[in-house]
Amino acid sequence: MILEVKNVKVKLGSSEILKDITFKVDKYEMVALLGPNGSGKSTILKTIFGVLRPINGVVYLDGENIEEFNFKEIARKIGYLPQENPETNLKVVDIVLLGRTPHISEFKSPSKGDLKIALNALKSVGLEGFEDRKFSELSGGEKQKVMIARIFAQQSEILLLDEPTAHLDISSQIEVMELVNKKVKSGVAAIIAIHDINLATSFCNRILMVKDGKIIRVGKPEEVINPSTIKEVFNTNVDVKKFGNRIYVVPKAKGVKRNNKNKKIHVICGGGSGVELIYKLNEMGYYVSAGVLNVLDSDWHAIMEVDGEVVDEAPFSPISQRSFQENVEVIEKSDLVILANLSVGVGNVLNLKAALRAAENGKLLVVDKTPFATRNFAGDETENLYRAILAKARVFKDETQVLRVVDEVLLER
Amino acid sequence: MHKLIPTLIMLNVFIFFLCLSLGSSSIGFYDVIDILNGVADDNTKAIILDYRMPRIITSMLVGSALATAGCAMQALFRNPLADPYVLGISSGASVGAAIVILIGIATTLNILFAAFISSLLTAFVVYKLGETKVGLPIYTLLLAGVAMASFLSGVTSLLVYLAGKDMHQVIFWIMGGFWTANWLKAEFIIIPIVASIIYVLINAWNLNAILMGEEHALSVGINVESFKKKIIGSASLLTSSAVAVSGIIGFVGIIIPHAMRLIVGENHRTLIPTTILFGAAFMPLVDLIARTATDGEIPVGIITALLGAPFFIYLLKRAKV
Repeated sequence: MILEVKNVKVKLGSSEILKDITFKVDKYEMVALLGPNGSGKSTILKTIFGVLRPINGVVYLDGENIEEFNFKEIARKIGYLPQENPETNLKVVDIVLLGRTPHISEFKSPSKGDLKIALNALKSVGLEGFEDRKFSELSGGEKQKVMIARIFAQQSEILLLDEPTAHLDISSQIEVMELVNKKVKSGVAAIIAIHDINLATSFCNRILMVKDGKIIRVGKPEEVINPSTIKEVFNTNVDVKKFGNRIYVVPKAKGVKRNNKNKKIHVICGGGSGVELIYKLNEMGYYVSAGVLNVLDSDWHAIMEVDGEVVDEAPFSPISQRSFQENVEVIEKSDLVILANLSVGVGNVLNLKAALRAAENGKLLVVDKTPFATRNFAGDETENLYRAILAKARVFKDETQVLRVVDEVLLER
Repeated sequence: MHKLIPTLIMLNVFIFFLCLSLGSSSIGFYDVIDILNGVADDNTKAIILDYRMPRIITSMLVGSALATAGCAMQALFRNPLADPYVLGISSGASVGAAIVILIGIATTLNILFAAFISSLLTAFVVYKLGETKVGLPIYTLLLAGVAMASFLSGVTSLLVYLAGKDMHQVIFWIMGGFWTANWLKAEFIIIPIVASIIYVLINAWNLNAILMGEEHALSVGINVESFKKKIIGSASLLTSSAVAVSGIIGFVGIIIPHAMRLIVGENHRTLIPTTILFGAAFMPLVDLIARTATDGEIPVGIITALLGAPFFIYLLKRAKV
């Protein structure tokens, strides 16, 4: 079953709610509609289901205009779950059985076969044994799963879900998305209007970003979700982080007051040894730089996030002479340099050489948290180099102690 | 089928014979047996077959009609306080009956027709007032019904005031009862009531869907706008028929469906049949009290209220809501 929405325009009263919406959804696809309140997400779903008639454009189901079908025929092809859950004392099994309505002829009651399908649907959402419970007495998560069982019992090939995770706790949100995801993998298509961007990026293969009745971005989550598209669609500032192959969106870190704006501090780090220093120094209002770092190193992510200057090298590559020079130049310009508790191998020995320059200039602070021998993988010569650095710098037991004296040290100078 | 249904059918048969056997005259159960054996005298036959029998049948029809209409309205409005009269049907019927009485053409048949036509007309006007461009929003309909009902109550009060010496006739009609029942009335209402009840009965499944809310009903493939019209149409026909022959009998349309709901649950596939049967059993029983409790007749609406409300409270308490 392929769903195609083509140049659809929908008016409610005098206002145009949808303006020229076009997209296609195939089976095995789980598509999220993302957009602010009132952007037209629900209207898109209602138009696909045929509740609202477009004034222009067509919705095609496998090439056939949806307007050719009556509601019963549409309900056999499309399972639509409205946003608000009903309030009713009906028994759970009666609600799930309602999903069979499009399959039973008028004036007839559901058969034993329908009952079996309903009970199976209930089982598939993990609510076996709930059939005789009153719907009104269930928890929010259970209610939503009953409603999911209802559209599963409908056995349609396209699912339209209007904010199925609203008002649910996190475990129920994930359960609901997993249930839909599993169904999609069995060969149906799902279109989900949703507000939770992280749930959408975690479970959906494709995202349609909707604003003012128009689709303004389409693509895989990692293609369309970034701070600028979120700003464009939702008009808010966020950070987009990557976690493995997942991406997630968090509110942007609060703007930092650059009251120490003339002071620059350079952190020599790597492998995560500088993360705390970079964030804290940034919060304290300093301009932070770091280097030399391999791209995608966690310290590199940290310095990118605080928008600091960075001297970087390709992932897993040793530090080149050019990067070393660049690093030294940054060090020259800095008011203070901190050598983090980094591990040293042949690839980044040049970072220690740079640190020595800083030490000779009298502006190096060293975090010497763990014995150097345990983090030195570049031979005895490096051990000597490190000792030479320590001799010319102020040494601290951990990051907290360094950070405590930074203000003071800079004032002295 | 719910296990309560056979019991209710037997209850109906029992009440039918009970009511045939009791009355203000001394004719009793053995006379009923005599009629069945064909050995009863003409006077006995007349009282049982031409007076008690049509009265019982009319009250059974009215009881089931009001109960069914109430049940359907409660599902449609998703409001436990909805009753058969929400669309102003009772006030409409009162105006029709009062006009006929006031202009002095108050034969049984004229009152019946006037009440029937004016109540159906009221329902239609309310429906039209409630209609909007996007369909029939249930709250607009409810408000239109409330507005229409109070307007027509005002008209009725004015007519009662103008009626002068006929005033008591109008008030008695409004109070409701079966003392004027005869075969003609029973025959008049049997077709619309039975047909509408069957329609509601076969749509019991769809009423479950409506109970979930209109969007949910739509999502399982029900053409909600057209279904709403049909249910409102049948409920109006049921109520108008009942009101035309028996005046305004309150409480039945609320109490019977709720009593059944507390016993068998919300599922309309069992709720509708049990409501029909319980309504049919309840009404003649109450009418029996109305015609035997005192020397005269107590208007049946008074008894439904006096009897119904405590029974309802008992059920509420028992269900530990």
